[in-house]
Amino acid sequence: MEIKADLCIGCGQCIIICPVQVIKLIDNIAVIDMNLCVECSICKRNADCPVNAIRSRRLKWPRVIRSPFSDVISTHKLTGIPGRGTEEMKTNDVTNHFGVDEIGFSIEIGRPGGGTHLGNIELFTTKLTSIGVNFERESPVSALLIDDNGHIKKDIKEERVLSAIIEFKVPINKATLVMQVIKQIEKNIDTVFTVGVISQVMKDGTIPILDLLILQGFSVRPNAKINIGLGKV
Amino acid sequence: MTHSLHRTGKINDLKSDYIILAMLAAGMNDKYADSKQKLLRVAEILNQNNPVNIIPKPAWKISPVITATFIDIEMVKNAIQTLIQEDLGVSIVISGLISEIQEAVKETGLKTHTIHLSLGTFGRKELLPSEEILEITTMCGHHCVSPQSVKYYVELIKSGKISVENAAKKLSKPCVCGIFNPTRANTLLNKLSGIFS
Repeated sequence: MEIKADLCIGCGQCIIICPVQVIKLIDNIAVIDMNLCVECSICKRNADCPVNAIRSRRLKWPRVIRSPFSDVISTHKLTGIPGRGTEEMKTNDVTNHFGVDEIGFSIEIGRPGGGTHLGNIELFTTKLTSIGVNFERESPVSALLIDDNGHIKKDIKEERVLSAIIEFKVPINKATLVMQVIKQIEKNIDTVFTVGVISQVMKDGTIPILDLLILQGFSVRPNAKINIGLGKV
Repeated sequence: MTHSLHRTGKINDLKSDYIILAMLAAGMNDKYADSKQKLLRVAEILNQNNPVNIIPKPAWKISPVITATFIDIEMVKNAIQTLIQEDLGVSIVISGLISEIQEAVKETGLKTHTIHLSLGTFGRKELLPSEEILEITTMCGHHCVSPQSVKYYVELIKSGKISVENAAKKLSKPCVCGIFNPTRANTLLNKLSGIFS
């Protein structure tokens, strides 16, 4: 994004709407901090700029990577899904992707606010790889990995995005190891992240992972996403 | 996407906040001639059950997911009952309070298949805005609603320059998925602006 200085009248509407708070008035002209802008396009779409001063720019590599991880109407080429993740559990009643003995994890870095640089992905992926985790093939984050050790492309590490989701599944007996990695990284990361855990629900209504989560000191929020089993092939 | 998973708030507030998401599985049940028609039918059913927000109509035909937001679990139950009767085979995911959804699902005779639990937020939480602001901003799961826009509209409400309803409508604009709950936003804005404590 860029704001045309010769058009801007300094009304500040774009400052209010920016989700990462990187627009400032300098000499009564709105200026975007280009290092911190995540290219989400929210200012262009929603600020109602009275002089149409907010413009899209043709982004070059590596900056172009910011848009699909930030702009909600930008579709990732890999997944074909608008947004930052995969189908995950949403179609599990059809795909059975998460079996009864498996646990899925979704770790979203930069949520619920502030964003992240892509280098933070590596904090997780290198440690998770070392305990034998394989990442969801169709996740946009997986497309950034360059080796089997969880490293990402060097030239994108400083690129800032609204959020990036690391998605994977493990056998239930490996879930404790994943939880320990999450606890370790929490101490070292420079932003926030959210964690989601996916499990099939047993016929008697029990959720196999619940006791393990509590045993490891995690608390579970009272709201969740529930697939009610209406999907059919 | 985990976009409706990490909505924050107190249990009482969350009792009026449910999202239904419908989706076909890529390469499995999205490939039939009538697949798209079935997804469109789900959109119609959801729209008939008084959602307070729904993915904009022009997007129904092109979006691979249909989303709608409800404030009343009874409406969610009604929608589920119609979906059961019509047996469209589209995957349905409901976001909201686990206890309320499980009860509703049980009453319709279904069993929950898979659950996505939220363990909440980790890391540098001191960088986040207040919990009251987050209750509004997390209603857009892609973080398109900025914390300072909430503060801005609260000040406008306090000074009588905008109604609570209009402020909620303005805040919902950046959320293109139809999962921002403007009715819940009304309640939260009322609290934030001191109209109701």
